[in-house]
Amino acid sequence: MSLDLSDALQTFFEEARGLLEDMESSLLSLEAEPDDAEVINAVFRAAHTIKGSAGLFGLNDIVAFTHKAENVLDRVRNGDVALNEGLIGLLLACRDHIAGLLDFAVDERTMDAGARSQGMALAAQLDLCLDDKKAGADADADSASARLPTTTEAQLQSAGGGPLTEDTWHISVRFGLDVLRGGMDPLSFLRYLGRLGEIVHLTTLADALPTAAAMEPEACYLGFEIRLQGDTSKAQIENVFEFVRDDCDLHILPPGSKLADFLGLIGALPEDNTRLGELLVACGALTAHELEETLAVQECEVGRETLVQPLGEILIQRQMVQPELVDAALSKQKDARSRQAQEAKFIRVHADKLDSLINLVGELVISGSGVGLMAKRNKDVALLESVSGMARLVEKIRDGAMHLRMVEIGETFNRFRRVVRDVSKEIGKDIELIIEGENTELDKTVVEKIGDPLTHLMRNAMDHGIESAELRASRGKPVKGTLKLNAFHAAGGIVIEVSDDGGGLNRERILAKAREKGLIADNGADMPDGEVWKLIFEAGFSTAEQVSNLSGRGVGMDVVRSNIEALRGTVDIESHAGVGSTFRIRLPLTLAIINGFLMSVGDGHFVVPLDMVQECMELDPARNPQRDYLNLRGEVLPLLRLKDHYGIKERLRRKEQQGLNGRAARRQNVVVVNSAGRKAGLVVDELKGQFQAVIKPLGSIFTKVRGIAGSTILGSGEVALVLEVPALLSEAAQERVAPVAQV
Amino acid sequence: MAKTILIVDDSASIRQVVGLTLKSAGYEVIDAVDGKDALTKLDGRKINLVISDVNMPNMDGISFVKEMKTKPAYKFTPVIMLTTEGSEAKKRDGQAAGAKAWVVKPFQPAQMLDAVSKLILP
Repeated sequence: MSLDLSDALQTFFEEARGLLEDMESSLLSLEAEPDDAEVINAVFRAAHTIKGSAGLFGLNDIVAFTHKAENVLDRVRNGDVALNEGLIGLLLACRDHIAGLLDFAVDERTMDAGARSQGMALAAQLDLCLDDKKAGADADADSASARLPTTTEAQLQSAGGGPLTEDTWHISVRFGLDVLRGGMDPLSFLRYLGRLGEIVHLTTLADALPTAAAMEPEACYLGFEIRLQGDTSKAQIENVFEFVRDDCDLHILPPGSKLADFLGLIGALPEDNTRLGELLVACGALTAHELEETLAVQECEVGRETLVQPLGEILIQRQMVQPELVDAALSKQKDARSRQAQEAKFIRVHADKLDSLINLVGELVISGSGVGLMAKRNKDVALLESVSGMARLVEKIRDGAMHLRMVEIGETFNRFRRVVRDVSKEIGKDIELIIEGENTELDKTVVEKIGDPLTHLMRNAMDHGIESAELRASRGKPVKGTLKLNAFHAAGGIVIEVSDDGGGLNRERILAKAREKGLIADNGADMPDGEVWKLIFEAGFSTAEQVSNLSGRGVGMDVVRSNIEALRGTVDIESHAGVGSTFRIRLPLTLAIINGFLMSVGDGHFVVPLDMVQECMELDPARNPQRDYLNLRGEVLPLLRLKDHYGIKERLRRKEQQGLNGRAARRQNVVVVNSAGRKAGLVVDELKGQFQAVIKPLGSIFTKVRGIAGSTILGSGEVALVLEVPALLSEAAQERVAPVAQV
Repeated sequence: MAKTILIVDDSASIRQVVGLTLKSAGYEVIDAVDGKDALTKLDGRKINLVISDVNMPNMDGISFVKEMKTKPAYKFTPVIMLTTEGSEAKKRDGQAAGAKAWVVKPFQPAQMLDAVSKLILP
């Protein structure tokens, strides 16, 4: 495969995935409103486009299967097959199968036996739908005949006098007088036409035949009305009459079913600024020759200085295409124009390019702060001023660059419609999903990684949260359960909420389980609710009495928590018995650059995310001897001495001894941090203020280190560690609990 | 009785390929190397179709067709002209002369067979 084609193939894969997603959401919305013709059409178009493009790349498995689905969809669209829940389910399964086939194509593998048999089973079901339709159509024949006269009438009109029945091509040809003289035998053309299909009906028109006296023996006066049944195209039929095209009057009208094809094709044509005529030619409704002729007619009119008739009207008048087609093509044109206007606003950029830009911006931030440091050291006021101006610009560039990576979370949310639908079917609960805040933007990498934990939370809420219908009824709740996904921005981060209106978490059961697993020492009677709920995130915790094949997939809630923490996020739970639970995930907007607060302990530098810092204060050694808490305006604030925690004590002492003459007692500071409602004071030596930290991940040998999210490089070239406050606090809490327990 | 086709072309290879294709489809084939030669080959025979190149030495295709159409026996004999892309004027000349059908060079043998079968039957 040449390189160019593989690029195009990549485009196809992306396009097809997009179409499949559209298809899915359309099908789901059809469940609520099965008669929405526009949506049915959208589903059809998606299938049609996938089939068409797949054919281009020789992906025959996809073409063959999609073709079957498309056939059924076509019937649905024409109203021949009713769209019911069963069919939607089947179509969703087909969609999944196509997605599977696509994956095989992406990996350049051939279909495996499982997929093949699945495809065959689905295809058989699809065929069944078509057969049903045929049988149904026969049965409906009587009722259909009531409608028939009107359609026939319409077709009569469009055929210009020639009767036209469904599913046959109608060819109306009047051979020119000179045809025989040119050595052309009309009969041989008709015979050749027989190769394209079956000539169902043929009428010879002799109305042009003059009286015997006036008749020229060498001239041809005959015309034919032909009905041809066969799988062919307008261009192919026109091609039959290629050699007499200029001498004869030829009208080809497609069969009823073709009309639908053309309409579909018009919809599926690639977007560009095509003219009406070109559009019709491209979909095969009009042949190039007919277009030329019509344009010539139009040109004549221009010459006559009358009001120029639009091409579409001429085409309809001259019976070259049906009015429906012209309408469809015109609306397609309008579509294409508006889409072009929209496209102009978007540029597709490879994610790598963005990443490298962000990296560069990160470096810029670092070297910018390096310059700032130099300026400060040299006490050059003018330089300092220009540096601060530059820093402001760098910050803007950083924000702009970060914003490029932002995507709306709506796409991820919409995926859950399917999850909810499938799961609720599986477990036999009627659950409605409400999505809010889908326009909330966050970093693409975060969006990609939040899908799995969210799925787990959703499944959990559906399986354990929402009660069975009977229980709900007995509790006086609406039988239909409600699951809500919400996203919004708050305090420099994003909050994603998964809430259900189920029974809420059971405090007693959680505590009992925790005791059983040895997660808590005492009976936990005085534990605050928030702490109790958090127990479900502990490894090996599962309260469900029955492990269903849903939530109990071997992935516990602890994995959810660690996934979220890997994104530097936190999760907390709000739950009320009988009312429901809300899982609240807080995530930083981005993973690459944060606004941090820089502080130092001894030789070490540490950064905490600025939005977690609540306040800073001096630690008065007189009032606060070596105690692990302080009185913060009447509140007990636990203290975490970083130098103890990280064992920097020894070095510090040595240094202090060296510097005894310089500074008698080193002043210490407390940085009050707040994480998910939990407060603590970090005791540090020096406060260095706000700092833009470009977070670099720690090497793989440090993956086990908790409480440190990464590192960053300071302007001076030194390394600072970025603290992961929630993990740090819980770790510190455990440290403290342990000695107490021993006492 | 098999239909007879006259091939007029100065290129031996074209005569050969077209000839073989048509013969395999069941036609009788006669060839001529130019217009003059073709006129002599016509005489007395029943010809069902003529395939003629345009550009040939001695007598070109268009003159040949004009000449042929003056003979009563061949007045209604269909002609396929072999034209090259971009010679629209030549094509019109040919049509005026009475050669209504054309096949554009280069062509596949199957294409030629297709054009022939639109005009006559094997």
